[in-house]
Amino acid sequence: MSTAAAVEFDGIGQSFSGVRVLRGVSFTVGASRTLGLVGENGAGKSTLMNILGGNLRSDTGRMILRGQPYAPAHPTDATRAGIGLIHQELNLFSNLTIAENIFLTSFPRARALPWIDQRTLHARTAALLRDVGLELAPDTLVDRLSAGERQLVEIARALSLDARLIIFDEPTTSLSARETGTLFALLRRLQSQGIALIYISHILDHVRQLCHDLVVLRDGAVVAQGPIETFSTPAIVSAMVGRNLTQLYPTRRGAPATEPALEVRGVSQPHIVCDIRFTLRRGEVLGLSGLMGAGRSELARILFGLDPCSRGEILVSGRPLAGANTRRRIERGLAFLTEDRRHEGLCLEASIADNLALASIRSHARTPLKLIDRTGWQRAISTIREAVRLTAKAEDTQPAQTLSGGNQQKVVLGKWLLASPSVLILDEPTRGVDVGAKFELYQLIMDLADRGSGILVISSEIEELIGVCDRILVMSQGEIRGEFSRPEFSSERLLAAALPRESPA
Amino acid sequence: MYPLSMTRPATFFRLFFLGACVGLTACQKSEAPAANGGSGSNAPSPNGKPLIIGVAFETLQTEYWVASFEAIKADLKQRGYPMLEAVSDGDANRQLEQVKNFITRKVDGIILVPKDAKTCLPIIKAANAASIPIVLFNRPADKSAAKSVAIVADNFALTQETVAYLMSEAKKTGRKHKAAILIGDLSDINAIGRRDGFDAALKGNEGVVEVVARIPTEWNQEKAQAGLVNALQANPDISFIFTSSDFLFPSIVSALKSAGKYHKFGTPGHVILGGFDGDATAYQMLQDGYLDATGVQDVYFEARQSIQAILNLRAGKPVPELIRDPGFVVHQGNLQQKAAQMWGAQIAKK
Amino acid sequence: MSGVATDRSWRTTAARALCSDYFVLWLCVVYVAAVAPFTPGFASLDNATNILATLLPLFVVALGQTLVLIAGGIDLSITSIIGLCSITGAMVMNDETGWLAHSPLAVPAAIAVMLALGGLVGAFNGVAITRFRMPPFIVTLAAMMAFSGLAVWLTQSKAINQLPAAFNALGGRTAIALGIACAAGVGVHVMLSRSLFGRWLYAIGHNARTAHVSGVPVAGVVISAYVCSGVLAALAAILYTGQTETGSPVLGQRILLDVIGATVIGGTSLFGGKGKVLWTLFGVLFLKLVDNSLNLLNLSIFTLTIVKGAVILLAALLDSLRTRLAGSHA
Repeated sequence: MSTAAAVEFDGIGQSFSGVRVLRGVSFTVGASRTLGLVGENGAGKSTLMNILGGNLRSDTGRMILRGQPYAPAHPTDATRAGIGLIHQELNLFSNLTIAENIFLTSFPRARALPWIDQRTLHARTAALLRDVGLELAPDTLVDRLSAGERQLVEIARALSLDARLIIFDEPTTSLSARETGTLFALLRRLQSQGIALIYISHILDHVRQLCHDLVVLRDGAVVAQGPIETFSTPAIVSAMVGRNLTQLYPTRRGAPATEPALEVRGVSQPHIVCDIRFTLRRGEVLGLSGLMGAGRSELARILFGLDPCSRGEILVSGRPLAGANTRRRIERGLAFLTEDRRHEGLCLEASIADNLALASIRSHARTPLKLIDRTGWQRAISTIREAVRLTAKAEDTQPAQTLSGGNQQKVVLGKWLLASPSVLILDEPTRGVDVGAKFELYQLIMDLADRGSGILVISSEIEELIGVCDRILVMSQGEIRGEFSRPEFSSERLLAAALPRESPA
Repeated sequence: MYPLSMTRPATFFRLFFLGACVGLTACQKSEAPAANGGSGSNAPSPNGKPLIIGVAFETLQTEYWVASFEAIKADLKQRGYPMLEAVSDGDANRQLEQVKNFITRKVDGIILVPKDAKTCLPIIKAANAASIPIVLFNRPADKSAAKSVAIVADNFALTQETVAYLMSEAKKTGRKHKAAILIGDLSDINAIGRRDGFDAALKGNEGVVEVVARIPTEWNQEKAQAGLVNALQANPDISFIFTSSDFLFPSIVSALKSAGKYHKFGTPGHVILGGFDGDATAYQMLQDGYLDATGVQDVYFEARQSIQAILNLRAGKPVPELIRDPGFVVHQGNLQQKAAQMWGAQIAKK
Repeated sequence: MSGVATDRSWRTTAARALCSDYFVLWLCVVYVAAVAPFTPGFASLDNATNILATLLPLFVVALGQTLVLIAGGIDLSITSIIGLCSITGAMVMNDETGWLAHSPLAVPAAIAVMLALGGLVGAFNGVAITRFRMPPFIVTLAAMMAFSGLAVWLTQSKAINQLPAAFNALGGRTAIALGIACAAGVGVHVMLSRSLFGRWLYAIGHNARTAHVSGVPVAGVVISAYVCSGVLAALAAILYTGQTETGSPVLGQRILLDVIGATVIGGTSLFGGKGKVLWTLFGVLFLKLVDNSLNLLNLSIFTLTIVKGAVILLAALLDSLRTRLAGSHA
């Protein structure tokens, strides 16, 4: 191996319809080094990686890959040059097996024959899976894999193509804590094999743990770079947002009231959740912690009437729901921000205004023809836009998919705020949301609690729950295994309660 | 990244689309003179100008209609009359629209194959209102105040004649025959005429031929085949088959073959076969010696008469409401001399 | 450098034109201007009346299809609804054998029966699709076959005429048909752009799961869309039947491609969530202009179908392009 830099960006610039999204970006990823690339959504990280990956050609500037000029015209050029790209949204075919996914573009052929050499395929896949620490048969359908396992398959695919530089774009967003641990162990192994990495993430702790160097992008320009040790976390955050963020979480002003907003009494569904009991008080922010698969999201879906439950009773503001469907539950004051923003939270192609109005539009319909009172509707939209501090750049008629992750989440939250819920359930509200927007989302959640609603927050980031909640419940194996009030909060305790118990013999 | 890569195909597409429109116009341009002038001798109509005739067919999906269409086209070309054509593909409303288009283009006469006897009434009314003579080709309209002339094959007489010939062949064998008849869609007046013609020929010949199977086909090849296979199983000694239309012959031949009963004329075990229409399959079967006889609709006669009727109507001469095409029977005995008049033979020779 | 800039702005203009509500109308204008000089009789008042008369019933059916397409479905059963309603109405009111022959109630009763029947078939489609979660394509395809079979069986494939003149006037007199079609168009337009139902319909078309999670009564709205489609097809049956003065079980059997083609040419997306009455109107107009001009040009039937097929394919391409443009338009 030469000691030439893995890749060098030199004055990369890019504009879309006159808007400059990258301006003179220059930095170097050293050979066998790991570089953390951070920045708010829209800072230009993905565009830059698309240029490196051959999906885009930059307007200006050049790249040098291991000492050679590099100008990919197509993603396959990047692959051939030894660059692997692990996307935020995974690019696997869930109807194919692991082996087929890995070798999709380069199936080992039987000698001089057009069909596939199954035995070689199997053996090579098995070897790769061993390398990434995945103990699964090569002919397992990807459909059955968890998000973390899929991530490992993606990495195995990059390794199969002899990648010498691998880019990770938000790899941990859909991983549980344990899966994240497995991933990091693998990344360290790759580092020791001399593979250079570019690691993009919003989670600065992870960046700090993994990376040697750091580059901060803001508005398409490099605003800070250097060895990771030279940065404090607040310094990174202020470089990202361009102002000083002294705290990551807003201060809670109000306090929970005593009357209950939501009472859950013995809710059970075989193999999903078992005998769940808790009370969410008005004005309370209640956290629901646990590992992936602990039954947290499933519980939320049952509470909202999206999934069935066989036993138990749910009361909202003291009155039982008694088998009401989702629509009735919304009328009764429930609201649910799901973890799947793209498929269940937003109509991506519909306008921002239509998305904001969706849950509450019924209240603007005038009988007898149910025609919409458009002035009232418009007023509600502009009020809520201001309330959730949606970016002023976006017009009401713009499709929701043109927004950044944080702004999209604000739209979903705004939709529910317009329905003035008495109970708001949030499932992973800050996933894929940048630091600045996260703070604003927390603020909105707390404000809603201060106005008397009960809030149930599900999150895989323990720090986040500790930062915003009044009380935290921990779930494991479909049961509630612990309850912690503010003074008792600590990551270790929460994690200990979340670990599954050995099932009795 | 999107605006850049997406607008490029957008412009390309727009150009392409406009290009297609322009191209279309260009090819229309080249067609335009043909529609106005036509080729050939430009035989003058009574007032000295070639007449424009609109020809609207309901379908071109069987050989018979294509042959008729071609016959009209050839006749008009010979006279030097330009022709406008339209096919409505079984849609009565579309046919109305097409004829209205003819009227817009101020045609001098209309030849129409209607969808059925009823839906064509508003069409005839529209032509009447524009004082354009209209001739119904092969399918008459129901009685109404609307005025039209229809040219139809004399289904009854021609079938009777054809079956009578088959009977005489049957008598020659000196034994009694069991017979099957394939009946058409009885909502079609032609099918009824043919069935009645068959029954009329049968009368008085019960000693020669006994009908053991009447197979409803609804003008459907699969139904014809299934019906005949069943009949042959119930009566393995069927030796006389008449079909109300030649287009069912492929089904009949396959049913006969699988029963081991497909033999040439004059060989033992030959099943006496007769049909109606005179299509290319029938011609081939006559030539090969499997088919005894078929009643041929004289499409050349019908085409000529249609055009003549328009000329006569324009000249104010009296024209009967119904013009019958007597047709003719083609059989093993007269095949060579009649082949030139048989439309199926012309197709087969192409 | 400036060359690049003007190139880009030109592209932006092209993109904007492509996304404009009136794009297809401009296409119509361009088409007429390009074709009229070579097409005898195309630009005449008579022909304009012809086009209008044949456009109206197609527009009414296409309105229903627009609703269903917006909800992310498709309704192939419209042709069978037209045939079935046509013969049922004719059976009720014809002067020869009609159940209410010569009664003053014959025409209103026949119309009521036709509209109700259309709604019923639509409800059948909607319920099968929402309650049993069957794909719309298969459900409405099956309905198309079953109900047109029923229509043929009921009449033994015979057409019924001798319809009351008052009924024939509804479709036959262009002015009356125009009034009916306008009323239907305005009705659907208000429904789509101003009503709660319209908002819900678009949301379901964009993302039915999000709509469900947000409290939209998805099943009810989808069923209503199919019912509307059925009723509008029945309304078109009234117009078509009046035009031919005959109740026919195979009426409108060939217009399916025209209906879906016209709707998509207009810009309504096959993937749901997008569509407007105005778009559909322009789509129908464009299709009819192409149809009519090709007819007047005396192209053979084979050429005609090829060109029409190409136009519809082009429109589908346009649709996907628009979808992508809309997605990137910021």
